[in-house]
Amino acid sequence: NILTVCFSVGYSAVALNHVIDFKEKKQEIIKPISPSELFPSLPIVQGTSKRIKVLTRLTLVVSDPSHCNLLRSTSANIRLYDIIAVFPKTEKLFHIACTTLDVDLVCINVTEKLPFYFRRPPVNMAIDRGIYFELLYTPAIKDSTMRRYTISNAISLMQICKGKNIVISSAAERPLELRGPYDVANLGLLFGLSEGEAKAAVSTNCRATVLHGETRKSACGVVYTVKKPRKVEEEETAVPACKKAKTQA
Amino acid sequence: MVRFKNRYVLCEVVSEDPRCRQCIEDRTLGLAVRDAIARVHGDYGLACCSISFTVKYLNAYTGTVLLRCRKDSYRLLCSALPFVRYLESRAQRYPCFLNTLHVGGTIRTCQKFLIQYNRTQLLRLLQNHTNEEERQCIQKSLLSCSLTEEQSQSGDEEEDDGTE
Repeated sequence: NILTVCFSVGYSAVALNHVIDFKEKKQEIIKPISPSELFPSLPIVQGTSKRIKVLTRLTLVVSDPSHCNLLRSTSANIRLYDIIAVFPKTEKLFHIACTTLDVDLVCINVTEKLPFYFRRPPVNMAIDRGIYFELLYTPAIKDSTMRRYTISNAISLMQICKGKNIVISSAAERPLELRGPYDVANLGLLFGLSEGEAKAAVSTNCRATVLHGETRKSACGVVYTVKKPRKVEEEETAVPACKKAKTQA
Repeated sequence: MVRFKNRYVLCEVVSEDPRCRQCIEDRTLGLAVRDAIARVHGDYGLACCSISFTVKYLNAYTGTVLLRCRKDSYRLLCSALPFVRYLESRAQRYPCFLNTLHVGGTIRTCQKFLIQYNRTQLLRLLQNHTNEEERQCIQKSLLSCSLTEEQSQSGDEEEDDGTE
């Protein structure tokens, strides 16, 4: 029913999240639920004639560098998720996640005061790599102390990253905790984003994250050939690997 | 020209409980919104937003609400709308949320948007329902939606023809 409310409110793509926490005993990564099991036929986006996309997403709560090895393992189940997100708990892990880990989203904790301050170098490297920072808004709606932590963490992030590469998402467990896209963009104003950035945080940045996930899935090893330009009309010369992967995906 | 400029915010009340729709009233809704503004923006925000704050239009059947506020403080109002969690009336609490549809400068622009929005909603209903009678009902109402002016304001009529 959460999904039906989503669709009626006007979202065009939804990602279902599966959280893996390493504090408990060793969990295995299970296969994601295929969306066709939930819906026999996906309804159509309001106003257009395309079907709504339902994606699957995995969130890893890491508090220890050894947990990151899971990402490098060649377990087949990880490849089935569309988007991979990581939730770092310490400053070192935040640095590792921004610079070397192969993820699409870095979640920012909104439920308690951050134990570390953001620094510019890892944040800038993450922006260059195309990794987005994610903020949740459902705790802010539920509780007043969470609201304060959310706003203070969000504003400190904005001051470092200048509002780029932000995605606002909900961790709604009930259908009434969801908010429409226009409302979520207005929440972005509270977090210190400008109006255009807030609207992008709901629309274009999310789409870019999905594309990033697709290229991560498909571009494991890319071989590109460089032709020596003999004639002027040769255009496919020396295209760098990352750009080529994106155009293929 | 010196004139007070207002912003009209069009929202829809979405809730799971069907009884919630019946208890929507302008006073309860106004109180709920003011309460949310007070919680989020404090005394300053509440004072700013309540300069010219009223509930202009309310439709209990579809849950459509039109709020008015000053142009200077409409951002405070819009950013506090996601925090409305329930409507309270006659000692009963109904959990719900407000979905912002459109922000306009005049009632007329909001009305035009609402007609278009209702038309798309009717189309969506048309797709979902397969009962023949209901389909004909819906099609008839689709073809007859129009924007007509009040006689007192001006004589001409504008018709939005819903031909598909």
